[in-house]
Amino acid sequence: MTSVVVSESLTKRFGPLTAVDRLSFALEPGTITGFLGPNGAGKTTTLRVLLGLAAPTSGRALIFGKPYGELEQAALRVGAVLEATDFHPGRSGRDHLRTLGCAVGLPDSRSDEVLRLVELQSAAHRRVKGYSLGMRQRLGLAAALLGDPELLVLDEPANGLDPEGVRWLRDFLRAFAAEGRTVLVSSHVLAEVAQTVDRVLIINHGRLVAESSLEELTARVGGAVRVRSPHLPRLAEALRREGVATSDANGQALLAVGTTPERVGDIAFAAGVALHELTTGGSSLEEVFLELTSEVRS
Amino acid sequence: MIAQTKAELLKIRSTRTTLGLVAGMLALLLLLVLLTGLLSSTGALAGKDAQRNLLGLGGVAGLFAALAGLLAVTGEYRHGTIRPTFLFTPQRPRVLGGKLAASMIAGLAFGVVAEALGFAVGAVILAGRGVPFALDGSEVTLLVVGTIVGVVLWGGLGVGLGAILRNQVAAVIALLAWAFVVENLIFGLAPSVGRYGPEQAATALSGSTTRHLLSPAVGGAVLIAWVAALVAAGVVLTVRRDVE
Repeated sequence: MTSVVVSESLTKRFGPLTAVDRLSFALEPGTITGFLGPNGAGKTTTLRVLLGLAAPTSGRALIFGKPYGELEQAALRVGAVLEATDFHPGRSGRDHLRTLGCAVGLPDSRSDEVLRLVELQSAAHRRVKGYSLGMRQRLGLAAALLGDPELLVLDEPANGLDPEGVRWLRDFLRAFAAEGRTVLVSSHVLAEVAQTVDRVLIINHGRLVAESSLEELTARVGGAVRVRSPHLPRLAEALRREGVATSDANGQALLAVGTTPERVGDIAFAAGVALHELTTGGSSLEEVFLELTSEVRS
Repeated sequence: MIAQTKAELLKIRSTRTTLGLVAGMLALLLLLVLLTGLLSSTGALAGKDAQRNLLGLGGVAGLFAALAGLLAVTGEYRHGTIRPTFLFTPQRPRVLGGKLAASMIAGLAFGVVAEALGFAVGAVILAGRGVPFALDGSEVTLLVVGTIVGVVLWGGLGVGLGAILRNQVAAVIALLAWAFVVENLIFGLAPSVGRYGPEQAATALSGSTTRHLLSPAVGGAVLIAWVAALVAAGVVLTVRRDVE
């Protein structure tokens, strides 16, 4: 089976900043992959390089075996949404789609089809400046679907969607992948895509920190010790002094990574910090995600 | 390339920006024709070059064609539509080629409308004031055709300038500063250099025999060279630069 997308040691630097650092991965047909990482991890830069908008500093990214810029009829094979705001405010949604479709020889009727698909037909002739963020997201998706692509790349598509919209998107992407087509969807919130994706790529500081199926990721749940305390900052400080990496779980609790509850309890006792909770396992996917992307200090 | 040009023409037609440009063009044109035709003495309007100037005022459409070309490029960067545009057509020279063709077609429409209107109103003013018509048939043909071709080429200049600068405000300021100040200043101070500017070249192309100007053929060639140089630079930079 040939990979739809291949990234080989992809690196992108902006002056002294390395936004993407020797990133390698491959996407197989018919899969939905979540591309995850905190804001600023390099997700959008990676997608821009993948889609030919930015040139890699070194390494390469191939889509259907070629750099994106060398794909003929790219829009008929790949659909992508990078920003939810990429519209001329004075142009109607339908005209936005027509201008794009026209460039690759698609008839206007195709614009009407995708408008129906994303349920925007009633706003088709209105100018985009009157669209809500959710409507703009759907119009962006409509543009990506215009060429009936085999690969769909979406950057943070859930931003601005209401819960109903998120559910609609999830069902849509599943049906899309069920036809053997491929999806790469980025997010900074694992929970947003956890119910949609088959596998995840997690990056932080431009580097791949985890690549696994969702099952594998779920199996990792429980790898961290969760602690609650009325003196969290002091506890965090004490743990760090002892070389235990920690991450903050929403300010309510701490996750101590790569250690045992015994050790955490001993350190807390030695530091004179009261504990209100000391548990392993049962942590959510989100906590695993935080664990993987937390600053590991030694 | 034809599909790309059609798409770019659709972009030009599908916002109100173009209507605004046409309205502005017609207002400025009428103002210039009326001021020039009514405030000059009948003696000052008798000469061939004075009549070429009056009857060729449709050439101001060149400024608006350049603005249309410039907005066709910088508007995409400003609104972010450059991303979907390049995603649909990653061959960036092809995108700029489509914009060049579409802007020159828009320039042709602008030029024909403006020159027809400017010529008609100017001729009516001359006749009404009893100034004898000084130009013969071939001179009128050169004036009208040269003016319109000049407007078309200025549309191309706008695409090149927009592709080089990308930033809409910077590009508009650069265009206006060049058209209204810089080139006239250079032509005034050093006419042997300034006559190679795109404005003086366009004036020469329409047959003006004003001192220091190039011949119509050379003026046309110089203007084409300007378009080719700016568009080539714009293509090279557009291919090389990342899109945000």
